[in-house]
Amino acid sequence: MGEPVALRAGRSGESTALASQGGRLRERSLIGSSIAIREAVKNYGHFIAVDRISLDIEPGEFITLLGPSGSGKTTLLNLLAGFQKLDSGEILVDGKPIHHVPTHKRGFGMVFQSYALFPNMTVTQNVAFPLHMAGVDRATIDRRVAETLEIMRLSEHARKSPSQMSGGQQQRVAIARAIVMRPKVVLMDEPLSALDRRLRESIQIEIRDLHQTIGSTILFVTHDQGEALTMSDRIAVLDAGKIVQVGRPLDIYRHPINRFVASFVGESNLIEAEIVQKRGSTMTLKNRAGYVFNAESRDAIDVGRATVLVRPERIAVSNEATANSVPVTVTSAIFLGEILRIEARMEGGETLLIRCTDTANRPLPAAGDRLHVNWGAEDCWVLA
Amino acid sequence: MTSASISVQPGRFVLSGLVGQLKGSTLLLLPAAAFLAFIYLLPLIDLIRISLSGPTWSVYFERVFAIPLYWDSLVRTMQISVTVAFLCLLFGYPTALLIHRSRGITQVLIATAIVLPYFIAILIRTYAWMVLLGRNGPVNKLLISVGILSEPAQLLFTRGTVLLCMTAVLLPLMVLSIYSSVARLDQNLTRAALASGAGPIAVFWRVLLPLTLPGIGAGFLLVFVTALGFFITPTLLGGPGDQMFAMHITQQADSVTSEGFLQALGVVLLAITLAVVAVAGRFLGFEFIWGGGKLSEAAPARAAAAASGAGPGRRTVGTLLADMIGWPLLRLLGRLPASCGVWTVRGMGGLVIAVLILPIVVVMIISFSSASYLTFPPPGFSFRWYEKFFSDSNWMLAFSNSLIVAAMSACIAVTLGTSAAMGIVRSSIRGKSAIMLLLVSPVIVPPVVLGLSLYTLFLHFDLVGTIFGLAAAHAIGGLPIVVVILSAALQAVDPKLEQAAAVHGASSLTVFRKVILPAIAPGLAAATFFAFLHSFDELVLSLFLSSAQLKTLPLMLWADVNYRLNPVLAVVSTLEVLLVVGGIVLARPVLARSREAA
Repeated sequence: MGEPVALRAGRSGESTALASQGGRLRERSLIGSSIAIREAVKNYGHFIAVDRISLDIEPGEFITLLGPSGSGKTTLLNLLAGFQKLDSGEILVDGKPIHHVPTHKRGFGMVFQSYALFPNMTVTQNVAFPLHMAGVDRATIDRRVAETLEIMRLSEHARKSPSQMSGGQQQRVAIARAIVMRPKVVLMDEPLSALDRRLRESIQIEIRDLHQTIGSTILFVTHDQGEALTMSDRIAVLDAGKIVQVGRPLDIYRHPINRFVASFVGESNLIEAEIVQKRGSTMTLKNRAGYVFNAESRDAIDVGRATVLVRPERIAVSNEATANSVPVTVTSAIFLGEILRIEARMEGGETLLIRCTDTANRPLPAAGDRLHVNWGAEDCWVLA
Repeated sequence: MTSASISVQPGRFVLSGLVGQLKGSTLLLLPAAAFLAFIYLLPLIDLIRISLSGPTWSVYFERVFAIPLYWDSLVRTMQISVTVAFLCLLFGYPTALLIHRSRGITQVLIATAIVLPYFIAILIRTYAWMVLLGRNGPVNKLLISVGILSEPAQLLFTRGTVLLCMTAVLLPLMVLSIYSSVARLDQNLTRAALASGAGPIAVFWRVLLPLTLPGIGAGFLLVFVTALGFFITPTLLGGPGDQMFAMHITQQADSVTSEGFLQALGVVLLAITLAVVAVAGRFLGFEFIWGGGKLSEAAPARAAAAASGAGPGRRTVGTLLADMIGWPLLRLLGRLPASCGVWTVRGMGGLVIAVLILPIVVVMIISFSSASYLTFPPPGFSFRWYEKFFSDSNWMLAFSNSLIVAAMSACIAVTLGTSAAMGIVRSSIRGKSAIMLLLVSPVIVPPVVLGLSLYTLFLHFDLVGTIFGLAAAHAIGGLPIVVVILSAALQAVDPKLEQAAAVHGASSLTVFRKVILPAIAPGLAAATFFAFLHSFDELVLSLFLSSAQLKTLPLMLWADVNYRLNPVLAVVSTLEVLLVVGGIVLARPVLARSREAA
């Protein structure tokens, strides 16, 4: 079992030193691997699960693969883990192709949705498992396991069996097992989707902090756009086996590339309009009812029809008509606590979703009320 | 307001009726319990009583252990049973893994190849081996044509043949037992181990093996216990030096010896079987007998016991030894190329499938032989043996007797078993596990012992040689099948469905007819089929309880196999195989529908 250690430790002087010293987990002494996916293809019979995907991941980056079920994100992760074989294309880790390296010699850490803790082992034995497999000596194992359990705040559960723990605790054990080797790459397959909302939010923060501490490259798969926005350095949005858009969370949210990304990430109003005029990155559009407004766009779009995205929280609401405002009729209004969620119909039939903060001087609108809405050019984004 | 109070009233009434019905479901256990008490427990107790009825209580037992013949045979029986259990484990584990790892149509085919022989009578499978290994059989022919042998060798009547054939007969039991525990594992556990840097061998040793140990234990014990009472296969395939204990009991029953000694022989075999099961049940939980279907009542206690006893973290001497010896050995194997493991599984699985299916195929081909003796390949093809079978009044009479007995037996088993399964699943009485244990225990009692004990009862009530008596006796073994299948089916029915129907005004009988019956219909059909098949195939009890006037098909086969091997037997075997295949094919739409509904 010499190879895995060599593969794990042999890349830089730093990590070799780390392996021999047994690792000082609190220091950020390690930078994760870079990963390059090139034209990766995976078919299941006639179904193309991964369709010529290329993606470059920076060392130490936290990247999220976001997409609905069946979009190929889990298949892509399985290809990286080596559970499935590429049909064509290649995957490079630190510049070296890995598709002929079997899973157990890739030296990654992995966290599963179902935790996948070994029920026949205690928490300690579960966390020690990767170290055992690498043939690390017993004293080092004990120290590393203790350190990792402490980081994950699991020290008092060390002797428990997984079945005696709550879901959140089990998932922290699974994370501990994935990071105990200080792997350069950690794969996470929807690790939070089996947990309830509050727990999910607290573990989201924990994973982010952990990423800062250990410095590994983390590939995180989720279908939860909120999770992706909170946690990631960058997000890759997948649909039907292809990457639709890659970018920082803010870019993805503000400047989605198409209807799919716009409606999958965050809530959105998509307004069909005709392009009237174009000046640099600003263009003037006219919707079906004849209202003219300005919007920002990438400059690649030609004159013709376009879809304009207006986020619900960017729409300003007033009771009085103002310059450039559009009259709407409220169809429903729901009080959600800190915000109001209003649905209103524009003349011409399009329905707008509006989210506005609750203020003291505005009564809750009722269905049938007339309101005036308004948005600026910087609040609109023309989709490609 | 008034309308609301009116509508509440009948609802309450129905609910209280429902509570009453749940209590009443304990009564549903009564018929089966009474049936088993009379025809199963009582005779066994009587058997023990007679065995103790000598001048001093132990005199017959002293004789059993004093005569070297019986003592040697007992030791031999143990040896053979342990060997067979180990062989089954050795070949069964890779086969179970193969089923688990294959997908789609391949998986269905492999699983069918394993399960199909399981439903074909042991007598017929043994006969198939006799044909395969006979002087003019295909194995001898092959060895001669390849040049290994110069003339046909005597392959039958050796210890090796007994072991081979018993292993082949009992393998499905082991494979199914292990498969059920492998299939229950989270697939991600293997992946997690791989991702943690464990090679395929480490995955097997550290994860797969420890987690499937209960399945292995259950399979091993079921095979061992069944082998202990084996009678048909060693009688037909064994030489004089391969006498197993159950054979002595039948021989003693044929020759008129002093009463008491015979019963003592039976009690010894019974005691050993029960002791093994009791020890095993202590460690595995008695659920292993009926395939791990845990009952709701027993679950928490059992889980707690498992957590404290076999829970992780305890390093027993066994695991220490295994770690010190087994692990380094396996790491040596780890130097072999990675594909070796895959090919070992495929190779051994393939061999197992061939060994299970080939004899049956050979027998089916031989049934169309034109030769007047057993030879393979047949010199020509004809239907002459089919004509002979269908024109022979003795065979036809036996055939119709078997059909009648099996139909009656299935009726008894299904009626009692359905009611008992309802009682087990729905009632809230304590000691459910004990009752379930009683209901399924006929499976582990050696048939020879059961036959012996029933003979006395049947003599007393003048039931020997009657169709009803035989059907009732067969129902003892059919009952566990029905109870296990139907309690599984019933557990899958959400009790909320029944409550919903009841709240909306259905009487308890309507609830059963409209809600429960449709839900368990596939299970009921399967249970009926298997109860029928059990009786149709039953030989050992029939040997004790039938008369010259009442011959069943297995009895005719048994007489002919012992007398002379001829292709008529192949015809009967082929018909039986077709019956099983037909039953499964007919059952498939029903099963598919139930899966859709689920």
